[in-house]
Amino acid sequence: MFTNTQIDIETLPKVADIDLIPIEKSYFKIIVFNLCFVLIGVIGALLGLKFLIEDSEFDKIATILIIALIVFFVIQFIVLALGFKNRKYALREKDIIYSKGLLNFSTTILPFNRVQHVEISRSFLARKLNLATLEVYTAGESGSDLKIEGLSDNVAESINAYLTTMLNERV
Amino acid sequence: MNVYNFETPSRQSLKGVIVLFAISLFRIIKKGIAVVFVFAIGYIRDFEIVNNHYLKFVLGFIILLVTLLIISILKYITFKFHTDKNYFFLNQGIINKEQITIAKSKIQNVYIKQNFVQQLINVVALSIETAGDDKTEIEIHALSKQKAKALKEALLKRDSNEINEDTTVKEAYFKASIKQLLLEGISENHFRSLVIIFGVFVGGYVEFKDFINSLNVETNLKHYFEYDELEILTFIVFNMSLLVIVLIIAISFSLIKIIIINFNLKVVETTNGLEISKGLFNKIALHLKKKRIQSITLKTNHFKQFLGLYSLKFAQTMGNKKQKERLSIIGINKLEANELIDKFYKDVFKNLNEQKPEQYFIRVQVIRWSFMILLINILIFLISPYALFLNIPILLLVILHIKLSYKKAYFNIDDKYFVKGSGGLIETSTDVLELHKVQSVELMQSVFQKRHNIASIIIYSGAKGLTIPHITKTHAQRIVDYILFKVESQHKNWM
Repeated sequence: MFTNTQIDIETLPKVADIDLIPIEKSYFKIIVFNLCFVLIGVIGALLGLKFLIEDSEFDKIATILIIALIVFFVIQFIVLALGFKNRKYALREKDIIYSKGLLNFSTTILPFNRVQHVEISRSFLARKLNLATLEVYTAGESGSDLKIEGLSDNVAESINAYLTTMLNERV
Repeated sequence: MNVYNFETPSRQSLKGVIVLFAISLFRIIKKGIAVVFVFAIGYIRDFEIVNNHYLKFVLGFIILLVTLLIISILKYITFKFHTDKNYFFLNQGIINKEQITIAKSKIQNVYIKQNFVQQLINVVALSIETAGDDKTEIEIHALSKQKAKALKEALLKRDSNEINEDTTVKEAYFKASIKQLLLEGISENHFRSLVIIFGVFVGGYVEFKDFINSLNVETNLKHYFEYDELEILTFIVFNMSLLVIVLIIAISFSLIKIIIINFNLKVVETTNGLEISKGLFNKIALHLKKKRIQSITLKTNHFKQFLGLYSLKFAQTMGNKKQKERLSIIGINKLEANELIDKFYKDVFKNLNEQKPEQYFIRVQVIRWSFMILLINILIFLISPYALFLNIPILLLVILHIKLSYKKAYFNIDDKYFVKGSGGLIETSTDVLELHKVQSVELMQSVFQKRHNIASIIIYSGAKGLTIPHITKTHAQRIVDYILFKVESQHKNWM
């Protein structure tokens, strides 16, 4: 039988009521590592150039650049450290939720019936720490996809398995 | 009746060699034009080089042409395609062999087009677009018209009701006349090109002046303005006239571009969509299916509104930029535009209950523009402190812009559709999206928004994200919950 009763918006399930689960704490190590890796790389390159180009003008510029870079990275580190606790996810019956960001806090919700495919990836360091990154793709532009970094291996695998079975059942 | 057998692998028409040759030649010319230009300028200065190395250049050119011809022939020989019940197969590649298989169900668009060369030798190109990324666009460069039509039909065959639509030829719903296209081109937002030209002008001014000097134009021009004691005036007039000339060139360029792309624009209604055909040198005809549309954008600006000109853009999944250009109708009037929108999205503008963003919207704009104005002022100050009076028109325009963008901003969500209005100083646009085609939703709140309990939402469709800016957080949460409910509670296909 077809019914079409009015919906009371207040009774709809609320995203805001969901208790989000924080990602693994050990993922912070990877963030720090990545940050340091880039910082050391860039500073190393600058120092190398400084060594090669023996010019006092360039010397000055390079020093200023290095100081600026360190300041920038310190700020970046603080933002990432404070924002880390905001990286949370949750699964509901019909969608997956991920929130992140400090200065720009955002919560993305992706309904399961829009999932195109799911991907798990692990970087070298993540493998050591038993972490994984889960990416859920939709058919839309990249902004509509969802990427959860720093899930523990089993959680990522089980979400992946859950979504994959759901995908297969749908078709 | 289908006289063509697509089950066995076949090549394109032999004329395809010419088309392939022309395409690769054109590509090389396009890429090499800058180099050629640099050399050409060198030659103008020094004719002897040309005379001495004349033969070498001709020989080099001939070798290039022969190589291209051989490559084209090989490409032609190795390019084979066929279909079966559910798939389309394509084999190509001279050295790296490639086999592409496309499921017919994944084909988003099949359309026939004709570029200048193809028109000359009377063949058409068939383009197959899938719902993947832009790499999955396949083009068969040369087919006879009948064969192309037959192949198109064969590719779209899986849905029995979809073939019939071609037989029920309806009268053109909309045809753009040259006059409409001209008006459309003139009323384009030239503000943008003006800004770009201004940038290029300031940047390239020094070099340009050198170039002009070397051509001795200035001395000639100085004849006209013989105010030796008023050199500043000469300077200003000279620069102004240059600016005007460049501007006129830019406007004519965009005008010509619009006419070439949209020449003979025709829209025909079919049972489950639209057939859009247009183009002067590159004739294209494409079929737009209702279920493939992800969102529609209606655009106009103040001049166009006055002239009764609107443009409609249809967005499909993962459309690349080129495709987006193709899926637009310009020069349409408001009534026709609304009728077309209504055809796809029934009763969308009925009981439109416009909701506005919070006043915070204005605040953000003011802060953002203040930074811009500060930056512009630093620039102006560096060039000449006397030009600071420019602040008066800039300030006026910015205030007007902010006022208008708030005035034009609204949104509405009803049972089926999401409608969003936006705009600024000149342009006005309306986006429409079916709620069941939403892919994901994002609720955003910056630290600044948080203090005022404001948030924004981005609603992602299969084609683009639409933002609802600066509404109260509770309102935003309700909207998100509602959209999710709509998407998750019904099992409607989004494509």
